Amino acid sequence: MAVERLLKDEATEEKGDRARMASFVGAMAIADVVKTTLGPKGMDKILQSTGRGRSVTVTNDGATILKSLHIDNPAAKVLVDISKVQDDEVGDGTTSVVVLAGELLREAEKLVNAKIHPMTIIAGYRMAAECARNVLLQKAMDNKQDPEKFTSDLMNIAMTTLSSKILSQDKEHFAKLAVDAVLRLKGSTNLDAIQIIKKAGGSLKDSFLDEGFILDKKIGIGQPKCIENAKILVANTAMDTDKVKIYGARVRVDSMARVAEIEGAEKEKMREKVQKIIAHGINCFVNRQLIYNFPEELFADAGILAIEHADFDGIERLALVTGGEIASTFDNPESVKLGHCKLIEEIMIGEDKLIHFSGVEMGQACTIVLRGASSHVLDEAERSLHDALCVLSQTVNDSRVLLGGGWPEMLMAKEVDELARKTPGKKAHAIEAFSRALQAIPTIIADNAGLDSAELISQLRAEHHKERTNAGIDVISGGVGDMEKLGISESFKVKQAVLLSATEAAEMILRVDEIITCAPRKREDRM
Amino acid sequence: MAAAVTASAPPARSSSSKTESYVDNKRRDDVRRANIVAARAVADAVRTSLGPKGMDKMIASASGEVIITNDGATILNKMEVLQPAAKMLVDLSRSQDAAAGDGTTTVVVFAGSLLHRSLSLLSAGIHPTVVSDALHRLSVRAVDVLHGMAIPLDLSDRDSLVKSAATSLNSKVVSQYSSLLAPLAVDAVLSVVDPAHPDLVDLRDVKIVKKLGGTVDDTELVRGLVFDKKVSHAAGGPTRVENAKIAVIQFQISPPKTDIEQSIVVSDYTQMDRILREERNYILGVVKKIKATGCNVLLIQKSILRDAVTDLSLHYLAKAKILVVKDVERDEIEFITKTLNCLPIANIEHFREEKLGFADLVEEVSVGDGKIVKITGIKNMGRTTTVLVRGSNQLVIDEAERSLHDALCVVRCLVNKRFLIAGGGAPEIEMSRQLGAWAKELQGMESYCVKEFAEALEVIPYTLAENAGLKPIAIVTELRNRHAQGEISAGINVRKGQITNILEENVLQPLLVSTSAITLATECVRMILKIDDIITVR
Repeated sequence: MAVERLLKDEATEEKGDRARMASFVGAMAIADVVKTTLGPKGMDKILQSTGRGRSVTVTNDGATILKSLHIDNPAAKVLVDISKVQDDEVGDGTTSVVVLAGELLREAEKLVNAKIHPMTIIAGYRMAAECARNVLLQKAMDNKQDPEKFTSDLMNIAMTTLSSKILSQDKEHFAKLAVDAVLRLKGSTNLDAIQIIKKAGGSLKDSFLDEGFILDKKIGIGQPKCIENAKILVANTAMDTDKVKIYGARVRVDSMARVAEIEGAEKEKMREKVQKIIAHGINCFVNRQLIYNFPEELFADAGILAIEHADFDGIERLALVTGGEIASTFDNPESVKLGHCKLIEEIMIGEDKLIHFSGVEMGQACTIVLRGASSHVLDEAERSLHDALCVLSQTVNDSRVLLGGGWPEMLMAKEVDELARKTPGKKAHAIEAFSRALQAIPTIIADNAGLDSAELISQLRAEHHKERTNAGIDVISGGVGDMEKLGISESFKVKQAVLLSATEAAEMILRVDEIITCAPRKREDRM
Repeated sequence: MAAAVTASAPPARSSSSKTESYVDNKRRDDVRRANIVAARAVADAVRTSLGPKGMDKMIASASGEVIITNDGATILNKMEVLQPAAKMLVDLSRSQDAAAGDGTTTVVVFAGSLLHRSLSLLSAGIHPTVVSDALHRLSVRAVDVLHGMAIPLDLSDRDSLVKSAATSLNSKVVSQYSSLLAPLAVDAVLSVVDPAHPDLVDLRDVKIVKKLGGTVDDTELVRGLVFDKKVSHAAGGPTRVENAKIAVIQFQISPPKTDIEQSIVVSDYTQMDRILREERNYILGVVKKIKATGCNVLLIQKSILRDAVTDLSLHYLAKAKILVVKDVERDEIEFITKTLNCLPIANIEHFREEKLGFADLVEEVSVGDGKIVKITGIKNMGRTTTVLVRGSNQLVIDEAERSLHDALCVVRCLVNKRFLIAGGGAPEIEMSRQLGAWAKELQGMESYCVKEFAEALEVIPYTLAENAGLKPIAIVTELRNRHAQGEISAGINVRKGQITNILEENVLQPLLVSTSAITLATECVRMILKIDDIITVR
């Protein structure tokens, strides 16, 4: 022992086989956690928080589950990260990407045990991934030229995404909502313009899409409840008093009358401020901060609708959709951009009153109001709808679509298998392994649905040896079906992202041969 | 098609290629089982409070407060449930409360029974998603059955409205007063219906004021405003004003205070006199301005910054014969201004006559050991109404308020969706019968599930009978028999302890309560069924 101690106390080092084993096990464990949520008959998980309130989340969304896990294993963290990236980039396929990476590693483990060098495996995986991607590129369909077909593609994609979520029973309704909302965006991927409001009560079917913007606030007392052709000033300013914000500032006076004068002066200042605001020629004023009684009354007198305490998110969105700017000083009315909308009115959803802005400047803007039995249902519905919206907005830009139900995986597996046969050398094993990993996805979908996966996959494979087949797993009937007829489609972009990032992640983990865990930073025991 | 699922479901478990999946499956089943057991425990806890002869629960909260209630939503809300699936049941009852306001116990008992049946279906080896899909189809069908049974209602038919409000009240502590409270609830809701939006009722327009003393008998509907406050007459001001001109003010009648910190420097004693005089003049000036508009009743908003009124200002106001009610909460202002049809006044400079509200009479009335202020005969009164609830102790008052809220919700449901349905377990038995018949038309797994769940619906009449001390099995079978013979309105008459035509007994409930109970309960059960793991997270 030449080197007695290289690392600090408590820092650990794992080498070679042990390190690789640790990362394989960690990554596969993570993949197994989310495996059961895959596919239309996937199950949900309860996420129980150990923090205060012990809040409970019920979800089917891979990214949400993984995000909230406690994870110590470095390889597992890599998988969590790719799912997060997938969520940010394309919004859907967050479970698939982790499961595929997990399966790739499972196959790699077997190869490593068979004494094949990780680098050889990586080289094989790379070739296979390249080949699989080419297959996808070839088989992708593009219906951009035909708007009618394109819309039906979008509907199919939305329904496929939603069918694995809580919204599956009303997927047609929600698919239509999502497609309508995304088509309003006219190609932009700015999902900010789509506002989602959750209101408990009613059932999911009562959810609706509304053009314009809805603000969950109240209109001040004695002010008009309905305004046509509104000119809106969105502001973030103190409407109590302009306090002198120097610490210790105080006034010294020698009589009561003076105090009254100062009070009067303060009031006067407020009045001036309100006058200035009114001078913008507005009839609706939205403030992020409180509006006190006095200015509220002044606004009411001027017939202006004033909304107080709209949160940051609310005013930013409002400014965006009405085309206004958030103002905080009011000296130059001409330089402030006002927002416009056709109609402001109070509407009632469930038991609550909300303010509805319709006919807003930014025509893309719309609001989806979700109704549902409980907050769990609503939260999950929002996540599901968000996934669908993300996928759709991506598809509007890149209109290539693929069929779903394990069709692309089987197609890729077949081509990759062919490649394996043509490739000489050890790499062929790795390529074969890649094909097996791809086939694992339809296997899991079938398993989750309680179907006989071994039987189904072999049927599917046989079907795919014919030319130009559309065969995939039809989970509803429990057999092999024609995916085009069933209208099960997926976005090309999602599939490609799943394939590429899963391969990359697997490669990264495979390359690891040593894990060094740093000594945890000492903390003062303050408990 | 479902047959294919059936055939292949069991082999899937054994023939799975991966070795560890068997262990996995076992654990998943365990989580599901644990969830179902926990959720059922919650349902069992409230089961005995169902129906007119249901029992009440006493809840002692951590802070020592005691609540006696029969209201499912309240019981569950106060139970500190930790198990996530059990929590979902608590949420379920809360949603029913929001959606329909009544039937909060029913919905939980329903869900419990459905879960019980799902457990046996799961142990028969049926895939949870199949069970869940069957449940969805069942709920759609059940709602159709309910619609088929519904009796359309006209809002002018006050009698039917009163009957259904009475049905809701009958299961509560205050049931002996249902003849008083039911019409009261109906009148209260009908008086706030806006003809422009006949389907919308905002229950916030009905204010419930609770006052200890008297009995529930003394509960009354006040067309006007009631404040649970004394008139501030420390300085001998009036306590009764006729032809009142009422101002709602949001400023204070006390020595001025600026927002910047201020101090008055007094350097010798003559100045002290002057300051006192100035203070008096200041307040006198304010009071004079108020008096000048003819105002004789002041409602003053509570202020956290400074005293709303001082002894001095009260004195001057009393001299000016102005009745003062102070410490009105800010969130009440909207209700008050809506009722009085006036505008709040935030500054003395804006004190003008057109902002005042008018009423025939404002008076302080002493009830029990306290006093309240009543404003009646309001001119151009807004669409609001106030209910003054009385009771001999705080527990009774609280429960009366909750019961009244349920009754108000029932009437609101009827305004929203103008259909009635028979009570007393009749709709549940009828659903069970029709769905059972439907199950025979279906094939495969689905038929099996539907049959099982159709039977699960019988839990409501069963529990009703059980809670009333009747023989549940005899009652339920007889009920089934009567329904099979086509008497769809036969139900359990708890008072007589037998099966009668429940429509003749005036036991009616809104359709919305039943439909929302079915849809919400199935939605919740489906969610619980789909969960296969509980993950602890940060």
